[in-house]
Amino acid sequence: MEPVEPGKNAAVAEPVLAPGHSFGSVTDQISAIVLTRGTGKKWMGGFAVAIALLLMLNFAITVLFAKGVGIWGINIPVGWGFAIVNFVWWIGIGHAGTLISAFLLLMRQQWRSSVNRFAEAMTIFAVACAGMFPLLHMGRPWLFYWLFPYPDTMTLWPQFRSPLVWDVFAVSTYATVSILFWFVGLIPDLATLRDRATTKIKQVVYGILSMGWRGSAKHWKRYETASLLLAGLATPLVVSVHTVVSFDFTIAIEPGWHSTIFPPYFVAGAIYSGFAMVLCLAIPLRKYYGLEDFVTLRHMDTMAKIMLATGWIVAYSYIMETFMAFYSGNPFDRYMIMNRMFGPYATVYWILIAANLVIPQLLWIKKMRRNMLTLFLLSLCVQTGMWLERFVIIITSLSRDFVPSSWGMYYPTRWDWMTFLGSIGLFFTLFYLFIRFLPMISIHEMRELVHKTEEEPAA
Amino acid sequence: MNDSPATVLSRIQQRSLGIGIVVSAICAWGAYVHWTRFLQAYLVAFFFWLNISLGCFAILMLQHMIKGRWGLVIRRSLEAGASTLPLMVLFFIPLLAGHARLYPPPPTTGFKAVYLNWPFFLGRAVFYFAVWVLMAWLLNKWSDDQDRTGDPVFQARLTRLSGPGLIIFGLTITFAAVDWVMSLETGFFSTIYGMIFMVAAALAAMAFITVMAMILARYKPLSEVATAERFHNYGNLLLVFVLLWAYLSFSQFLIIWAGNLQDEIPWYVSRAYGGWGVIALFLVLFHFAIPFVLLLNRPITKSSRALAGVAIALFIMGWVDLYWIIEPAFRPQGPQLSWMDIATPFGLGGLWMAVFLQKLRKRPLLPLHDPRFEEVLEYD
Repeated sequence: MEPVEPGKNAAVAEPVLAPGHSFGSVTDQISAIVLTRGTGKKWMGGFAVAIALLLMLNFAITVLFAKGVGIWGINIPVGWGFAIVNFVWWIGIGHAGTLISAFLLLMRQQWRSSVNRFAEAMTIFAVACAGMFPLLHMGRPWLFYWLFPYPDTMTLWPQFRSPLVWDVFAVSTYATVSILFWFVGLIPDLATLRDRATTKIKQVVYGILSMGWRGSAKHWKRYETASLLLAGLATPLVVSVHTVVSFDFTIAIEPGWHSTIFPPYFVAGAIYSGFAMVLCLAIPLRKYYGLEDFVTLRHMDTMAKIMLATGWIVAYSYIMETFMAFYSGNPFDRYMIMNRMFGPYATVYWILIAANLVIPQLLWIKKMRRNMLTLFLLSLCVQTGMWLERFVIIITSLSRDFVPSSWGMYYPTRWDWMTFLGSIGLFFTLFYLFIRFLPMISIHEMRELVHKTEEEPAA
Repeated sequence: MNDSPATVLSRIQQRSLGIGIVVSAICAWGAYVHWTRFLQAYLVAFFFWLNISLGCFAILMLQHMIKGRWGLVIRRSLEAGASTLPLMVLFFIPLLAGHARLYPPPPTTGFKAVYLNWPFFLGRAVFYFAVWVLMAWLLNKWSDDQDRTGDPVFQARLTRLSGPGLIIFGLTITFAAVDWVMSLETGFFSTIYGMIFMVAAALAAMAFITVMAMILARYKPLSEVATAERFHNYGNLLLVFVLLWAYLSFSQFLIIWAGNLQDEIPWYVSRAYGGWGVIALFLVLFHFAIPFVLLLNRPITKSSRALAGVAIALFIMGWVDLYWIIEPAFRPQGPQLSWMDIATPFGLGGLWMAVFLQKLRKRPLLPLHDPRFEEVLEYD
């Protein structure tokens, strides 16, 4: 809650910016990645893999449009398969970015400065991946605009009692505000790139994007006001989007879906997987681009602790779901839990418990939080766990609900897998382009941090 | 203004003790005359003060974890609040005595037959209190040791206990709420229920602590450190808890309303119509909408007086909230206020305040060896 300023708190906490940096060194080091260091071989290699996965996604989608959703494993009763699992997973990942950029800005937590830019980029790309899935799942995605309440001649009107319609508004608002917030934050840095660019093309492109930024006092004042306002708008969205996603389930009376704890549980789970993704991206990035001065161990440690805390909210929710299934005395709820634990998808359930609850407890140990390899592996483990959690919620409840005669198993087909892995390709393609063409750490916020550190020298 | 905090606190303590003894005696007479009605009123009053004790306990651990400067000024009050938990054990005795009268008999078969039967119910109550009392004692003891020796090892211990401590707090208060309140209506269940109780406890305690901070900030030494910025922090914390309370309560309502299932919906049917419906609306306005708008205003959160006004309102609304959650179990047709509904919180509260202030008075009002201490003096 309380701001932990660099320098001010040096007696108790490590710095959020390694000592010895000046305005110039910060600007040089971050802008060089985009302007002068050129395209590295490793970047090319990673980008090639991402593009290959993206092409696979395109192929899978082409076949889907040609043949229909029947190529997926979905059936009656399991009408929501991988598409919805992936939707919830991706949109959850996005939440950490907004939390870091908006909520922590309002809380004046300055450690956010060095991670917020790429965390926000992660949000936007994750929302892009997420938004794709419900559209693909519709069967006739070219009619998606029917979801909007516009005056038409078909006497068609969305069902406003359906949370699926709320989703349309929640997700599109979230995407809009996230993009705006990200772009506004980029403007001063784009101007820096424009001024430092050496070729005409770069100067023109960055020049157009920086929207005439000259860095006057008036510009900065308006910039600060706009940032605060956007942060104020974005903060409730962190909670609202995943709350609405949780309503997709809870508003139905399906056993295992209709549970009052879902809204806070989904939000916590979203932040849990989101921070895992931020760590997964930050750990290789800081190593490969030598950004250890900006993204310090302090950041890693803090984010690991947030993961641990949100992980426990998720754990609490599992405990409550299980307890209430028995306490309620409702035979369907009880069966739902027993079916998850010992039914046909029991293996998935227990892997989920191991990956989401048991293994992440290693984060209590400081050494684990500060060893980048273990932290990276733990983050992957949490992301797997959170994906499996959505799988368990969606598939076990749909495959066996009230009447045994309407039960049915769900098995993903190769098209399901190709679409899922392909969406990871889409995400990383966008992300690779981002780190190549835009400053992945906010240059002007780092300058501000240098200023503050100099003003109050570390004790 | 020339008074020292010690004399002010001791004056409040004497008055509280007086009120506590007199009102408790009158309530004891009420219990003798109308045992069932007394128990019903008493349960609300008991939970009201339990919320304050447990909320102090939880926020104390929270500030040990987050290490924000806001925690320094209120740390002693939080510790004193947590140290009232042994008193809550004493307050629990009438509920045990009236257990059979207050709670419907558990079903004879199924999970509830095992879970809600008397020995298990009692055993769990003993367990919750044992855990709370032990942890609150440790938090206070290490704090005393820190004061005496200045050894940084104690701060490390406090921080180390607080992480697991918060998890234990969350689980125990949840099951306590299920055992002592949810079980009043046998059919009802809700997975978010425990979280609502956690947040209600934190909100009530934060409101109480804000008022205490306002009183203490008038005198040295707290007047030196309790700046407008600190009260702004407390205002923000109150705002966060108000929002969380509204978010969780509305989530529960929307999901149960939309589901409209016969197990769950009666809980809201009795609470949303007639007299209870009026109280529900009152809660929406005064436990959420109005405090929310007020707490967004910096002039209010930065003035200790104005903020304390909002905090007092929230403190009282905490009781209304519990009344609305608990009482419809006995009177689904509508509220019937008894004098004991009003008297019992004062009876328990007087005694609670006396114990709280006793603890608060015993020690310096600022933890001298808190690592944040110098920082606050230097920069605020």
